[in-house]
Amino acid sequence: MTRMALVLILSCVAVLARAQDADEAGQREKRWTDLATVLFDGRAPAPAEGLIDIDAPNRAEDAALVPVRVTLSQPGAVEALWLVIDDNPSPLAAHMIFGPGLDARNLSFRVRVDSYSFIHVVIATAEGLRVAQKFIKASGGCSAPMDADEDAARKTMGEMRLKWGKPQDGATAAKLMIRHPNFNGMQMNQLTRLYTPADYIETISLRQGETKIFDLDGGISLSSDPVLGFGVRLSGAAPIEATVTDSLKNVWTQEFAPPSTGE
Amino acid sequence: MRRALALALLLMARAACAEVAEPPGLWTGPMQGETPKTLAGARIVDADQVKALAAAGALLLDVSAEPPKPADAPKFWAPIHRSIPGAVWLPGAGRGDPDPVFAEKFARHMAVLSGANPGRAVVVFCHPACWGSWNAGKRLARNGDRPVFWFPGGIEAYEEKFDVAPVAPDRALLAAP
Repeated sequence: MTRMALVLILSCVAVLARAQDADEAGQREKRWTDLATVLFDGRAPAPAEGLIDIDAPNRAEDAALVPVRVTLSQPGAVEALWLVIDDNPSPLAAHMIFGPGLDARNLSFRVRVDSYSFIHVVIATAEGLRVAQKFIKASGGCSAPMDADEDAARKTMGEMRLKWGKPQDGATAAKLMIRHPNFNGMQMNQLTRLYTPADYIETISLRQGETKIFDLDGGISLSSDPVLGFGVRLSGAAPIEATVTDSLKNVWTQEFAPPSTGE
Repeated sequence: MRRALALALLLMARAACAEVAEPPGLWTGPMQGETPKTLAGARIVDADQVKALAAAGALLLDVSAEPPKPADAPKFWAPIHRSIPGAVWLPGAGRGDPDPVFAEKFARHMAVLSGANPGRAVVVFCHPACWGSWNAGKRLARNGDRPVFWFPGGIEAYEEKFDVAPVAPDRALLAAP
């Protein structure tokens, strides 16, 4: 009898412990459902089942600069991608609309992560929305003050570089580096004790001639001096044109020559 | 041999100096940065001890800053704050300026939060390398009317072992006249 009571008590304790575990997981799931409802007008993304792979550090060394690599196994069927950092105050880090000039097999981003959080990558395919997630341990990425001098950062704002990588299966890997402090309005200047006013990248678009490579809506969850990695399906010798706009309505445009084929 | 000993002593002395010393009063410098390892008048606790203290009825006081919504914020703005379950989140309670009005408001609010037990033990925390919890702990320890526990590991250290939960800010402290 006493033994039975003990077993009962123990199983109750086990259930309670599990209920608490399920608690945080459940609340994190609810957070994602709430965000997805707003972002996708009530359409719930289905699990990606191998279509999306997210590679990011489990524990980020620098929360203001967390590298996220996204691999898409069937990029041809994808029209757009959303990168969401659930617990950031501004959760949508990037919304990328793919063009015919994009090879989206390997994409990379650099983001800010404000606290331990799931990141979600959603893709729009002909069959509907698909999602994959990864949990990242990082904290303080949004309030982290800039290391570099703010005035110096403002002087080089809008400068861009396009770095070409290796060609592979009809596309060429590329990295677009943009000089921009991407001030999010939550960073306190440690000397003046004032919040640096927000000034962040709103859009990035890339074209080769008339061909769209991608359009991206950014925001304050991208890192300062953002770097985007992607592949380009080059067509001819027309220059690549990058256009960046920010929340203060600055516009920068720069042209890059396609890589020399070496022939 | 003697030189080696002298060198070792010198290195040890230097290492000791490199540690952040406790300021005599509240800290008024940058709120993010390395803090002292100690807080006079308060006991340092880890995540397990915090869980036990909470179970024993201690008040959990989270003084993390609340991110300001920038004037020009992106359209989709949805802040969330996860903390130790049951914690009271008092954004702004870690400030270090000697404003007597704030000091009085803080003391009054602590009395409200303590309810029927004016000597209720309190655990103060925010994030790692956050002076806010050191300051709030200092204020409470100086008052000397309750046991004060400082949890420098903060929310992240707790989350390494236990579940956290979303907490809404308690704005009564700042709203009080």
